[in-house]
Amino acid sequence: MSLRFQRLLLILLTLIIIFSAVLLILYNTRENVSYFYTPSEIDESDMLTKKIIRIGGFVEKNSFNKISSSSFKFRITDEKASILVAYDGILPDLFREGQGAVIEGSFSDNNIFNATNVFAKHDENYMPKSIKESLKDTGYWNKNYK
Amino acid sequence: MSSLFGFLSLIFATGINFYLFFSRYILRFQSQRFNFFIRLSSLLTLLSFFSLMYAYIISDFSNYNVFQNSHSNKPLIYKISGTWGNHEGSMLLWLSTLSIFSFFFSFTKNIEDDFKKLTLIIQSFLHILFSLFIIFTSNPFLVNSILVNEGLGLNPILQDPGLAVHPPVLYAGYIGYSIVFSIAIAGLFQNKDDEWLYVAKKWSLISWTFLTGGIALGSYWAYYELGWGGWWFWDPVENISLMPWIAGLALVHSLMMVRGEQAIKKWIVFLSILCFSLSVFGTFLVRSGILTSVHSFAADASRGIFILLIFFIVTGFGFLVFLLKEPKKSNSLNLLFINKVSALVINNILMIIATLTILLGTIYPIIIEVLYNKRISVGGPYFNSTVIPIMIPGFLLMSIAPILSWQTNKIINSKKYALGFIILSILVLIQSFFLEFNTWGLVGLLLGFWIILASIIAICSSYKVKFTIKFFQIINPHIAHIGVGIAIIGITCSSIFQTELDFNLNEGDKFNVNGKMVLFEEIATTNQINFQSLRGKFLFDIEKDESRKIEAGKNYYPVSKMITSEAGILHQWNKDIYFILGDQKNNEWFVKVLINPFVSFIWLGVIIMMYSGLIAVTRR
Repeated sequence: MSLRFQRLLLILLTLIIIFSAVLLILYNTRENVSYFYTPSEIDESDMLTKKIIRIGGFVEKNSFNKISSSSFKFRITDEKASILVAYDGILPDLFREGQGAVIEGSFSDNNIFNATNVFAKHDENYMPKSIKESLKDTGYWNKNYK
Repeated sequence: MSSLFGFLSLIFATGINFYLFFSRYILRFQSQRFNFFIRLSSLLTLLSFFSLMYAYIISDFSNYNVFQNSHSNKPLIYKISGTWGNHEGSMLLWLSTLSIFSFFFSFTKNIEDDFKKLTLIIQSFLHILFSLFIIFTSNPFLVNSILVNEGLGLNPILQDPGLAVHPPVLYAGYIGYSIVFSIAIAGLFQNKDDEWLYVAKKWSLISWTFLTGGIALGSYWAYYELGWGGWWFWDPVENISLMPWIAGLALVHSLMMVRGEQAIKKWIVFLSILCFSLSVFGTFLVRSGILTSVHSFAADASRGIFILLIFFIVTGFGFLVFLLKEPKKSNSLNLLFINKVSALVINNILMIIATLTILLGTIYPIIIEVLYNKRISVGGPYFNSTVIPIMIPGFLLMSIAPILSWQTNKIINSKKYALGFIILSILVLIQSFFLEFNTWGLVGLLLGFWIILASIIAICSSYKVKFTIKFFQIINPHIAHIGVGIAIIGITCSSIFQTELDFNLNEGDKFNVNGKMVLFEEIATTNQINFQSLRGKFLFDIEKDESRKIEAGKNYYPVSKMITSEAGILHQWNKDIYFILGDQKNNEWFVKVLINPFVSFIWLGVIIMMYSGLIAVTRR
């Protein structure tokens, strides 16, 4: 093999690698991406498609229902609309009524959202009320604190 | 008091760096005097960091930062680690690490004085950027305006020995690339000889080793603390650390070309700038609050913009110099179809594509949200089905790359390798048909074993086996690749052949896990110093005399009103048995048991890679 031919082969190989990588990326950005909605953004057509989506909102107060030690039902809400979610498994440690949560899964036939994953949002800036007030007074208040 | 002291030393250190960077006479300085100033500013920065740590240790709540992130009844180790368990402190740690690197670099001997000065001046410039950031947007030394006698406590998730050491090690990796960056830029300005490439190689190996350790620590922590039974989630923050890691790997491999061949200097400079840019970019993404995860502390938009500015200055400056000052005298490459150079080139191309793929997946949601106002999430499936196939040719190549010749297309002992590969394929095929067949599992196992086998054939047939330091230095690339092979086997087995078992149990129940009887003894609650613990106690393999205890449960931290999961893991050399305690109803507890085969191989592989990284530093 001449030197020139060898280099040509190498360049071809490189191009093939790059080309297949681009194809892989394009295919996967269409297939393996899940859309994120809030409960009020979901309409009938979303419920009919059985695609995997994510829903973000708050766990509605007094909606949490423990069916067994590993099976739960609760509603996820954004104050405008709410959606009934069913989940089997272990809920994250930070999951609580009134707290933010993101649910991944898909709708079943009876419009119940079957969750495969539940992510609870971190709320690390918890503060006792008295300190919160005094912080507000002194102007150190940061809107991130709950 | 200590806060004031810390703040003053930070200001003073920054002042010295301003002086070093802006003084026009600096290049005329005696190098001894110059080094003295660099070391002084480094020590002052460290002093500032340690006074913050002191404030944490003595729980000085007159410091606003300590008040927000500490509590007097925390164990000492978490008071210390609390120093960097928050945004402000972690940025000070970042700056201190930068100083430590400058400090050690100022002792480098085998390098020209002018070159060293230039490198350190660029380090001073970086120091100025980040200390301005700290002083103006994230000052950890602010005084608490109200009188309190108790702090708010550290996020319980961070109260863990793994997470206490994870940030410093990871930062050492990220910021180690600052030295490589500075060396590369100085190399462009003072393009006299190739000596700087050897220096850059040492520092990039050191950074890469630290980065590997930092990522592995974080991932190990996620494994036993998050209680999901996995160790890698393609979380944006993980991706961000993986990008400089892969780019750094490409850099280390490119720098090897300096040994036998003419260097592709331009490419090396490009990669050096890229590695540090990716590190800063990672900091920006994490700290700006664009991404939400355990790592994004309370987000503040102004900080994000400031770091974005620093990112543009660093990257812009780096690439501008790169474009204006091209390295001269670079001889042409000896590129053949399969020789060492072409293997290294292809390896570099693959790694860069992999880095770009991860980058795209990580920032794709941000782009889509800005363009279409739609929110999407790119999760594990995207990364698994793009990054892994892209890396596979690289894994195949790495098995034989170290024994390829620099000059010719000949592969020594090619017959042995072919025979080895065929026998191995048959064995893996037979094995996979008898157990469970899975295409990805088959590919992963074959690749992992093949890399190990090929490396062993190479060591035995190409070198005389002696047990001297020199021998271990020579076979070091093969050892590193064996580490990768072992890690691939661990990754494949633990992610593809994982089994999950669910149980609903009452106390005293016996159940079967993988053929072994397990007794669910009891649920016990105890009070610890700063948390209450709830533990499900299990006895594994009760039919044997030496049955093992496993405890899985939750901790409740009253200070921050948070619960953390504590998985119970029984480590065995060939599998981890992973217990997670779930919820209860009517005294019936939900228990999930995961059997993760060969997880220990991942950590073993990582340790071997880090060992090779260190050995490679000792070799010229």
